[in-house]
Amino acid sequence: MGFHQFGQACLELLTLDDLPTLLIPGVNSKKHQMCFDWGPGEMLVCETSFNKKEKSEMVPSCPFIYIIRKDVDVYSQVLRKLFNESHGIFVGLQRIEEELTGKSRKSQLVRVSKNYRSVIRACMEEMHQVAIAAKDPASGRQFSSQVSILSAMELIWNLCEILFIEVAPAGPLLLHLLDWVRLHVCEVDSLSADVLGSENPSKHESFWNLPGNTQTLTELELKWQHWHEECERYLQDCTFASNPHLESLCKIMLGDEAALLEQKELLSNWYHFLVTRLLYSNPTVKPIDLQYYAQSSLDLFLGGESSPEPLDNILMAAFEFDIHQVIKECSIALSNWWFVAHLTDLLDHCKLLQSHNLYFGSNMREFLLLEYASGLFAHPSLWQLGVDYFDYCPELGRVSLELHIERIPLNTEQKALKVLRICEQRQMTEQVRSICKILAMKAVRNNRLGSALSWSIRAKDAAFATLVSDRFLRDYCERGCFSDLDLIDNLGPAMMLSDRLTFLGKYREFHRVYGEKRFADAASLLLSLMTSQIAPRSFWMTLLTDALPLLEQKQVIFSAEQTYELMQCLEDLTSGKPVHGGSDTQQCQDDDIETTKVEMLRLALARNLARAIVREGSLEGS
Amino acid sequence: MVSVINTVDTSHEDMIHDAQMDYYGTRLATCSSDRSVKIFDVRNGGQILIADLRGHEGPVWQVAWAHPMYGNILASCSYDRKVIIWREENGTWEKSHEHAGHDSSVNSVCWAPHDYGLILACGSSDGAISLLTYTGEGQWEVKKINNAHTIGCNAVSWAPAVIPGSLIDQPSGQKPNYIKKFASGGCDNLIKLWKEEEDGQWKEEQKLEAHSDWVRDVAWAPSIGLPTSTIASCSQDGRVFIWTCDDASGNTWSPKLLHKFNDVVWHVSWSITANILAVSGGDNKVTLWKESVDGQWVCISDVNKGQGSVSASVTEGQQNEQ
Repeated sequence: MGFHQFGQACLELLTLDDLPTLLIPGVNSKKHQMCFDWGPGEMLVCETSFNKKEKSEMVPSCPFIYIIRKDVDVYSQVLRKLFNESHGIFVGLQRIEEELTGKSRKSQLVRVSKNYRSVIRACMEEMHQVAIAAKDPASGRQFSSQVSILSAMELIWNLCEILFIEVAPAGPLLLHLLDWVRLHVCEVDSLSADVLGSENPSKHESFWNLPGNTQTLTELELKWQHWHEECERYLQDCTFASNPHLESLCKIMLGDEAALLEQKELLSNWYHFLVTRLLYSNPTVKPIDLQYYAQSSLDLFLGGESSPEPLDNILMAAFEFDIHQVIKECSIALSNWWFVAHLTDLLDHCKLLQSHNLYFGSNMREFLLLEYASGLFAHPSLWQLGVDYFDYCPELGRVSLELHIERIPLNTEQKALKVLRICEQRQMTEQVRSICKILAMKAVRNNRLGSALSWSIRAKDAAFATLVSDRFLRDYCERGCFSDLDLIDNLGPAMMLSDRLTFLGKYREFHRVYGEKRFADAASLLLSLMTSQIAPRSFWMTLLTDALPLLEQKQVIFSAEQTYELMQCLEDLTSGKPVHGGSDTQQCQDDDIETTKVEMLRLALARNLARAIVREGSLEGS
Repeated sequence: MVSVINTVDTSHEDMIHDAQMDYYGTRLATCSSDRSVKIFDVRNGGQILIADLRGHEGPVWQVAWAHPMYGNILASCSYDRKVIIWREENGTWEKSHEHAGHDSSVNSVCWAPHDYGLILACGSSDGAISLLTYTGEGQWEVKKINNAHTIGCNAVSWAPAVIPGSLIDQPSGQKPNYIKKFASGGCDNLIKLWKEEEDGQWKEEQKLEAHSDWVRDVAWAPSIGLPTSTIASCSQDGRVFIWTCDDASGNTWSPKLLHKFNDVVWHVSWSITANILAVSGGDNKVTLWKESVDGQWVCISDVNKGQGSVSASVTEGQQNEQ
C-alpha cells in the first residue's frame, strides 16, 4: 500500500469537469506569463517574462506578488472552537477503538456522533451571535452564510448518523427521520401542526411510544393498516364532502401526494415533504425502499421548476446509502476538509467504508485526515492539533509530520521546546538534530553562547560545539572570566562531543579546583591539559601563565617530573615562534611582553624544579 | 477553497523573474530585471521591506534561500555572469561572497540538502555548472563541471538527502557518507544526473533523453519516505515529463508524459510534501497536477491571470470579493 493509492481517492474527489480556477488580477498582457513557486504552506504567483532578455521590455510589468493559501478557514476565530473540540472527540474515538466491542459498540459510536453534532451546534450558535453583533452588513452576511453552512453540515451529519450509524430498522426509522426534520425545519407551519395534531396523532403516539413498547413491528403495521383503511372508507363515503378542508386533511393523512403538494408553501423543502409523505403513506418504510420515495419526493417537490442544489444531491446520496457519493459531494461543496475528514473517520470506525466495497476504503480516511491536518499546520497554534491527526494515519502520517514540523517557525524558546518534545517523543531524530542546529545558529548570532552550546550538544553537532567552545575561550581571554559557568560545570558526558568542548570543560574544572585550593589536583589537571594535546596551541601560553601562581606557592606543588614536562612544553612553544619584523611599535611591545612572560616562566620553573628536587630527595631518604 | 491572502507590492521597476519564500514562510525574496534583490517580511499578512540588495550588473534571474541552520543566507544569479551570496549579520543584509567563474549568464542556483553542508549549484549559459562549498571563515571552495550541457545549462535541482541504510547511529562528530546527486537541464535537450565520486569529483551518472527541444526546468521531488525517486522536467517542446526510478534497481529512469502543452513550458515546481506539481506555461496559466493510482497524472486546478476581481473556486459561502 503506497502513496499512489491515495491518488485514486483524490482522483475521485478532485477531478471536476469544471476545474476550480483562481483568477489573479494583473496586467493582462500577451507578452507576459505567470510565475509560480511554493512556500511551506502557501503559493506565490507573479507576472513575469520567462524569455530572458537583457534589455527591459517597454511594456509595463506588474510589481505585485500574490500569496495564495487554501484552508483559510483555519484562521476563523469562531471555527477555532470547532477544531479544538472535535480534536478531543477524534482522539478519544481513536483511543477507545480497542474497547469498542459487542452490543455497546453501536451506542458508543452513536454517542460520538452526537458529540460531534453538538460541537457543530455550539459553533453555529456562537457564529449566529457574531453575525448579529457584526458592525458592517457585509461581514454580517458572511457570518450568516457560515451559519447556514454549519447548519447544513449538521443536517447532513444527522442524517448520516440515522442511516449509517444508528442503522435504524424499519419502523423506528421514520421516527428518527421525523425528529431529524423537526429539528431542522425552523418554521412550525400551522397547518402541518394541525395535520399532526388532528384526530389520529394521539393514536400515533401510543403506537410509537417505543420505550417499553412490547408491540412487534407486525402488530404496529396491522394497527396502522386498520386505521388507514378506516380513513379511506371515510373519504369514499364522502363523509367530508361538505367540508373541503376536512376532505383535504383526510387525503393528506392518507398520504395523497397531490393533496400534500397543495400545501407546498408550508413544507420548507423536499425532505420535509418526503418524511411527511412517509408518515401518512408508509410509516414502516424499510431503509432500502427509502431512496425511491426520496427520489420521487425530490422530483415532485421541485416540479421541474428548479434543479437540485449541492445539498440536495448530498442528502439524496445518503438516502441511497451511497456513502462514497456523500463524501465526494461534501468534499466538493464544502470549503474545508473538517467535515469529510471527521465523518469519514467515524464511518470507518463503524466499519462502513470496507463493507461498501471501496478498495481504498481506509485509504480514503487517511487521505482526508492528511489533507485536514496539513491545513492545520498553516496556523500558528492549531498545528499542535494536526500532530495528533498525523499520528493516527498509519501509512503517511509520520513522514507528513516530519515534513510539516520542520517548517514551524521557532519564534520563541517555548515553541521550539514544544516542537522538540513532539519530535523526541516520536524518535524523529533527524528533525531534532536539524531544529537544534537551527537554534544553535540563532543563539550564536545573538551572542547567547550558553544557549548555543546546549543546543549544539542536544543536536550532537561536534563541529558547532567546537565553534562555540572557541568563542567561550576567546571571551575568557578577553574578559578573564567565563560566562555560563553552570552550563560548563555540568556538562557531564556531553563533554566528549568534541575535543574543544572537552578542553573547555576541563579548563573550567581546573579553575574550580584551584578555587577550592586543591592545588595538587589543579596542577595535575593543568599539566594533563597540555600534554594530552587537547589544548589548542594558541592557548598554551595562557595555560602556562595559569601555572605561575602554582609555581609561586610556598609549598612545592609540581613534582620534579611535572616541572620537566612543563619546561618541555614551554620550549616547544617558544621554539616554534617566528622572529617578528619589529617595524610596528605595538608588535614590539607585544614581543616584549611575550619575552618577559617567557622569562618569568623560565625562572619560576627553574626555582620550582630546584625545590622539588630537594624535597623529593629528602623524602626518599626518610 | 483557495484565496489570495496577501499582495506584496515589491516596487520593482522592471520585470520580476523569481520570488521565493524562506523555509518558514515568513520572508519573501524577489529579484528583477531592475538588477535588485529585495527581501520582505510577510508575516501576518503584512509586507515590510527588509532589504534592497544591489550588486548585480544585469537582470537577476533567480534567488534561493539556504537552510536556516546556516543562518539567514540568500543566493542570487544574474545575466551579469555572477552569483552573489548575501548574508544577514547583526540585523543587516550584506554581500557575503561573489562568484564570478562563469563566462555568460548564470541561469539557475539551487542549494543542496542541508545534510551535505552549505553547497550551492549554479547552472550557466556557458554550459558549465559550478558547485560552491562553504569551508568556513568566509571561504568557499569551487568545483566546476565544464561542458555539462552544450550551448547552455538552464536549470539545476538537487536530489533529496537519503540517509545511507548502513549508518543507523552515527558516532558524534562523524559525518555520514551521503551520496550527493543533482539533476541539470540544458540546451542540448537533455537532463543529466550528476553524482559526487569518492575523490570529490563530479561525474555524469545518467542522461535522460525525451525532449526534442531545450530543457527549461528540472525539479527533483522531495522525498516522502518511499523508495522511488521522481524528477519533473519541462521544455521548449511544450512537454512535461515525470521521470521515476525505482531505487531498488538503481539506475533505470522511465519517463511518463504529464501533458503536451501548446506552448513553451518554462517552470515546474513540487509542493513541499511532494504530492502536487505546479507547471507554469507559456500562456497565462499555472496548472496543478496530482498522480492517481493508475499512474495517470490529473490536473486538479488552474491559476489564471486575468483582469477583474479575484474570485475563489465556487463553493458555498466562500466568495471573496476584492
